[in-house]
Amino acid sequence: MTADAQAGPPANVPFWQRTRVQHRLDMALILLLLLPLAVITILPLVYMFSQAFTPEAEVRNWPVEYIPRNPTLDSFRLLLSWPNLPIMRWMLNSFIVSISVTTLVLVINSMTAYAFSRLEFPGRDALFICVLTTLMIPGEVTLIPTFVIMRQLKWLDTYHALIWPAGAGVFGIFLLRQFFQTIPKELEDASIIDGCGKFGTYWRIILPLAKSALIALGIFTFLGSWNDLFWPLIALNSNEMRTLPVGLSILQHEGYTMQGLSMAAAALTTLPILILYGIFQRHIIEGVMVTGLTGR
Amino acid sequence: MALKQEALRAAKPVPRWRKLLPNYLFLAPYFVFFLLFLAGPDLYGFYISLFNWDILLPDKPFVGFGNYRELFNDKLWWLSLRNTILFACLTVGGNLILSLCVSTLIRQRPPGFHFLRFLFYTPVVLSVAVMGVILARVLNTEFGLLNYYVSQLGLPTQKWLGEERLVIPVLASSTVWWTFGFPFLVFLAGLLNIPPPIYEAARIDGANRWQSFARITLPLLQPVTLFILVTQFIAHFKVFGQMWIMTQGGPGAASYSVVMYLYDVGWRFFRMGYASSLAFALAAIILIVTLINFRFFGRRVEY
Repeated sequence: MTADAQAGPPANVPFWQRTRVQHRLDMALILLLLLPLAVITILPLVYMFSQAFTPEAEVRNWPVEYIPRNPTLDSFRLLLSWPNLPIMRWMLNSFIVSISVTTLVLVINSMTAYAFSRLEFPGRDALFICVLTTLMIPGEVTLIPTFVIMRQLKWLDTYHALIWPAGAGVFGIFLLRQFFQTIPKELEDASIIDGCGKFGTYWRIILPLAKSALIALGIFTFLGSWNDLFWPLIALNSNEMRTLPVGLSILQHEGYTMQGLSMAAAALTTLPILILYGIFQRHIIEGVMVTGLTGR
Repeated sequence: MALKQEALRAAKPVPRWRKLLPNYLFLAPYFVFFLLFLAGPDLYGFYISLFNWDILLPDKPFVGFGNYRELFNDKLWWLSLRNTILFACLTVGGNLILSLCVSTLIRQRPPGFHFLRFLFYTPVVLSVAVMGVILARVLNTEFGLLNYYVSQLGLPTQKWLGEERLVIPVLASSTVWWTFGFPFLVFLAGLLNIPPPIYEAARIDGANRWQSFARITLPLLQPVTLFILVTQFIAHFKVFGQMWIMTQGGPGAASYSVVMYLYDVGWRFFRMGYASSLAFALAAIILIVTLINFRFFGRRVEY
């Protein structure tokens, strides 16, 4: 029997159990195919950073100096001193808005997801279906009425206009609800017996156990808010209130022809995001993968 | 009767509503936001779409479905819709094929698996504003990176963003560069979720690599594919930033998208009623596309 298996043709061996040489050849081929794509993926980003540090007189030099021969901070200095481009104020606005939005979403969505997944009361399922139904309507529909409402509230051109609508976000409810449902019911019963109220159970049992899901939701919310262009573009109109993406798009629109300047602004917009991505890469990547599998 | 209720109340020291109140309190904050910024605006938006609603004028005459009728005869609307559909199909198709190929390769866990996974997702975390500013430079006709390499290869340089027949495919390719990391990770999750013994069984039955990909991998990825198709079409039908930053809808109106038109109607001409009807028409089209996706890719596969 064993002799038979050994004598069998090599074609019957599954590819993950093939010989070492074959395995190495496979891997070499895969890397050969993926490497050009990896270069294309990262090159524009490298280009952005290198142009930001290249002297304005040399930005159009050929071949491109991916590592600038004469690196300089001139573009950043110019950007910071340009009277109509208060980039540090824009960055402050972006931070204020994104941090507020993230806090709001985490608090509201975790409470809502807790109610929808662990509490029982009449009307719960009907309310959940209400929330589900609005998922079918794309956010573009709410832009005009929300703008009209904000105008009546006199919230246009303030942080309020950018922060509060995020409280109605639906994505986090689904993400956290999925996660809360995996927490054993016994833990909750135990905490009720120990005298914790419903809020105590939510605060001391559910939230600490859901830390990884909360971190993932927090990062996705922060990224989404930081990167958003359309709503801030509509809701803000004074120069000092702009967030970074809006400021950057205006910079592009108004034809500032200095390449180093807009690349420096793009680099400043991107840097906090890249740092965040570097730190929380595991949460982000696993968050996307889990969402893809549960969302199907 | 009253006595019986009295007795019941005595038997239950905590009334039912007191027990349920905390449950409702957990939901209450969300529903304030939900009514004010989601469900309310959805309904209010439809109401606005029935009026000739100029935000600057006090008088807002009721026009019934007049805005929708106007939309039907609006050449610019149809043009922007055509551009948007073309853009969405090219982007979703490109994303789907590229991410499926890359995830199939990466699934074999070559050296640098984690690094490559990290790298391919990097452009996704960028703002559309950053993506647009960088790629506008890369695609610039006179001193862009792409034309430099094209000329190095001895090929004719192109006005990538300045020619009617090129602009939408170029914008779609740029968007694939920017977003393909997302479907890539979702496909990878789906691939890693397929139990290896299935492949082993197919191997024993004499299936080659291509056959096991076509007969096992693709069918088992079907739920993931449906998820990607639905979410990607919804996302790319709403395209705005790429055009707004890189082409401003040009050349002519060759890259003018529906949401750009929505922006112009609403915030340049202040025709909120017409803009609202446009938003609802877009919503209806997105809904139809979603239903088509479910119809053609929605059958369940069991294993």
